[in-house]
Amino acid sequence: MQRREALKQTALFGISTALFPSLLQSCKEQSRLNWQPQFLSVKHAELISSLVDTLLPKTETPGALEMKVDMFIDLVYGKLNGEAGQKEMDKGMDKFDEKCEAEFGDRFADLSQENKVAFLKMEEASSPKFNGSIWGTAAGKQEPVGFYRSLKSTALWGYFSSEEIGLNVLTYDPVPGPYQGCIPLSEVGNTYSL
Amino acid sequence: MANFNIDAKKDMTYDAIVIGSGISGGWAAKELCENGLKTLVLERGRLVEHVIDYPTMNNDPWDLDLRGAATAEEMADRQIVARSGFIGENNMHFYAKDDENPYKEEKPFLWMRANQMGGRSLLWGKQCYRWSDLDFEANAKDGHGVDWPIRYKDIAPWYTHVEKFAGISGEAIGLPQLPDSHFLPPMELNCVEKDVKARIEKEFPGRNMIIGRVAHLTEPLNGRGQCQSRNRCDRGCPYGAYFSSNAVTLPAANATGNLTIRPFSLAESIIYDEEKGKAVGVRVIDSETKESIDYFAKIIFCNASTIASTQILLNSTSNRFENGLGNDSGELGHNLMDHTYRVGAMGKFDGHEDKYYKGRRPNGIYIPRYRNIDAESTTDKFVRGYGYQGGAGRANWGAGANQEAFGAEFKDALTKPGDWEFFITGFAECLPYHENKVTLDKEKLDKWGRPTLVIDAEFKENELAINRQIQIDAVEMLEKAGLKDIVGFDNEHGMGYGIHEMGTARMGKDPKTSVLNATNQVHAAKNVFVTDGACMTSSSCVNPSLTYMALTARAANHAVSELKKKNL
Repeated sequence: MQRREALKQTALFGISTALFPSLLQSCKEQSRLNWQPQFLSVKHAELISSLVDTLLPKTETPGALEMKVDMFIDLVYGKLNGEAGQKEMDKGMDKFDEKCEAEFGDRFADLSQENKVAFLKMEEASSPKFNGSIWGTAAGKQEPVGFYRSLKSTALWGYFSSEEIGLNVLTYDPVPGPYQGCIPLSEVGNTYSL
Repeated sequence: MANFNIDAKKDMTYDAIVIGSGISGGWAAKELCENGLKTLVLERGRLVEHVIDYPTMNNDPWDLDLRGAATAEEMADRQIVARSGFIGENNMHFYAKDDENPYKEEKPFLWMRANQMGGRSLLWGKQCYRWSDLDFEANAKDGHGVDWPIRYKDIAPWYTHVEKFAGISGEAIGLPQLPDSHFLPPMELNCVEKDVKARIEKEFPGRNMIIGRVAHLTEPLNGRGQCQSRNRCDRGCPYGAYFSSNAVTLPAANATGNLTIRPFSLAESIIYDEEKGKAVGVRVIDSETKESIDYFAKIIFCNASTIASTQILLNSTSNRFENGLGNDSGELGHNLMDHTYRVGAMGKFDGHEDKYYKGRRPNGIYIPRYRNIDAESTTDKFVRGYGYQGGAGRANWGAGANQEAFGAEFKDALTKPGDWEFFITGFAECLPYHENKVTLDKEKLDKWGRPTLVIDAEFKENELAINRQIQIDAVEMLEKAGLKDIVGFDNEHGMGYGIHEMGTARMGKDPKTSVLNATNQVHAAKNVFVTDGACMTSSSCVNPSLTYMALTARAANHAVSELKKKNL
């Protein structure tokens, strides 16, 4: 509990200092980031923000940035990953941007929208996939899926498990009552959020 | 609420002591208390009162920073139990920290521990199947292990006894190899499961696919509410809809006024009196203060869980029992079993795109054993058999990770249910091998000074042969059932993952080759009863917990009757 409180306070601190980005970043490269990462470097946070925005943009429903998916990934990076996981993700992000520079002459965050889409299409085609899973465990031997697909999976998790999407976009049914095995989809509409 | 009597200082002497408050310990407490015995339950962990101590039961994903995942820091001291893949922020307080009971794995063995009142009854899968004479006669027929000292007729009334109080939902279909329970109404199959069932049963005469038989109430029982399909069981159920010691047996025991439960009480050993020629009590270490305390009773029920019960017996040495209480046969600690698990197949189902379901059913389908049940179904590839669990459901947004797409349309499409998917995964019987064993390491002590355990066990050729057949059959059944994109898998990881550990203090007819008699009494110390998984003589292929309940109720009532006759 204490840890969670501490985390909330840190997050609050992050928001308040974000009001003064020029103070914090006066001696750093100019950043368009409007939030202060707790764990990721600013450069990596910019990559994450631009990636989740390209993956899950705003439509009639909110986009990943509105749902703070980038901030969620910062937390996953810092809290869920151990040290080894963080190093691996650092390497993954650097390699991703290196590849991007080689193909399009710039890091991902600074590409035009058109080139971002073109690069992600290449990543989609070349990234290994997740095995199916049963009760939380991958079926068969899972090959490493690499940074892109892993990030995409985390972005989907952050987006679809957020409160706004869970309550107001997906079908929220916290106490379903006795199980009904076969009902018209039209009675439910969207996927259940829980 | 219950507010248990935890004042164990008042009395050092009871009629009965029960070590452990999990599935079998809770039943021992209930039966003994209801028969008028002043009973002390020793629980090594903290109290967990029904509902009051379920702090996460209503959390939605967004209520937690990591949406239900546990941090690396929190998982650091739960690296063993974390291998199961079941642990997150919402349930981790019900899983033991590994350093509380370190053990050495000679070969990989996952020992899942839940050290609090209720034990793993808060976390179990709730699947409940009666064993049959196919199981109780198996050792005698093929010569592996020793013969069970009981048959189905001995335990059948006790199955009924515990089922009526626990509440087991399911469908009666009259299979001899999987006797029907006293059932509450079955849960419903979904549309795809109904189709798959029809096709499998048509294509494979002799095979059945049924709704899982589970300890979830499908109608109210004794003040407990029925299942609301939240599928948040492992956080504790506010309705008391699934069977746990916390919601069911311990409150019943408490209601008699005969129960005392002492938390933070690690059983160090059972005290044997050489002159009286019987056990007289239990030596306890207070896990908070490290104080050593002796409690005394006429009878002792050892229900600490399969491996932990044997650990206590092995550590209970005396001049009479130099190698552990009741170990005249040398079999104490041996014949450790589990079920093989995580071998099967999955696939996608075409059709029913306009159908969905309501609720997160904490249950699935079951395919009962169909091999080696009669002359016609007998194979020469292996002895014994296997069954499957599984189920169908529609994919959600998680499927998006693998789709070669992203962007606006992709995001909006993921709000709709995806493909229907179906899977089955086998559970195979494991033979009792003498060399699969647990032993004490007296050099390496835990933080309370108790010798730790060395676990040395593995599946062998018969289990691996069954696993091969499980995958072949699974793929074949899914093919014939019309599924597509079928993937067979074999994720067998070694023993312990089934979390059905059994044996190490087996029942038997002969004191020379077994530890317990036909009523779960230690052969040479008849006022000590072991009625958790340690007592099992073979492993069947069906989930064992219901059988622990029935054996416990049977043994407890036998104990009461023997006490009345002054035989103990």
